[in-house]
Amino acid sequence: MSAERITRREMLKRLIVAPVGAAALATLPVREGSAAALQPYYEPYFVAVLWEGRTRCDSLWRSLKGDVVPVLPTVQGTTPYDRLYWTGYALGSAPVNVNMRVWARAVDHNGVPLGNGWRAIGQATIQTPPQRWFRVEIPEGHWDEYRIEVRSATPRLVYSRVIASQGYWKE
Amino acid sequence: MPVRFLRNASELADVSWETPLPVQVANAKPVPADTLLVATTTVTTDANRDLLGSTSTELPTLDGCMQYRKLVWFYFRAGGDSTTYRVLARATDHNGAPLGTGWITLATGTLPGEANTWGRIEIPSAGDGYYDQYRIEVQRTAGSNYTLTSKIVGVR
Repeated sequence: MSAERITRREMLKRLIVAPVGAAALATLPVREGSAAALQPYYEPYFVAVLWEGRTRCDSLWRSLKGDVVPVLPTVQGTTPYDRLYWTGYALGSAPVNVNMRVWARAVDHNGVPLGNGWRAIGQATIQTPPQRWFRVEIPEGHWDEYRIEVRSATPRLVYSRVIASQGYWKE
Repeated sequence: MPVRFLRNASELADVSWETPLPVQVANAKPVPADTLLVATTTVTTDANRDLLGSTSTELPTLDGCMQYRKLVWFYFRAGGDSTTYRVLARATDHNGAPLGTGWITLATGTLPGEANTWGRIEIPSAGDGYYDQYRIEVQRTAGSNYTLTSKIVGVR
């Protein structure tokens, strides 16, 4: 690999002097893998932010939204998504020891759940040193609604961002 | 003569495996998922009863599924009575007529879950689907009738 630093003026001069080279660029074959790797961001349609915000964790099982009402989902409309990612950051000077569990359910055409309760997707304990990032992947996709709950014996604030990915296919 | 491109605001780089051209995946589309079926089935001891309640073995539960790589069957069962299920599939011709009678059995087994629990079954469990028609049958093998509410999502 070689690179050189040039000014904008020099760059313009080179483009003007060598228009044939510029035209040839359009037909160069590129590797698909490189294309994906270099894509700086995905379109929002591929990856959607489902929720972001702050949760005040305490000894009760709370949704990331803060409620303790088990019937309420944390995120809805998640049918198209293969998997969800929850990235969080817990404030406080003590080591993080937060219990979490994830529920899911399906709804009918009117948005009414097919039945009572939820399906347990999984549960875990998030243990990190203080003020560290953590990330939880929820691989069981295409459910319509998820409820993500947390609790902590030591009250603390958790900042969260829940995103969902669809993946993509080539035409 | 090496081909160069503007890697950032003021840097030219040679095209190479390490520094390929910065292109976007323009010819790609997101993978949609479509709801194909929402149905409530009374699970009985009848043989060959599908999610639509039909015992006519040549009738598909789902048709026109060729574009879907897989189906995801979500269900909520009101009863925990022992139940078996079968997932069948086949291909059709251009007129929508099956290439032959009968089906390929993709999966068979005991329907997981107790009373008032949720379940999720991927069809097929491994590999790709792309079959034209599916037939999903449930049969209770003990206990009493109960209702099974299902939703099937097709994933491309």
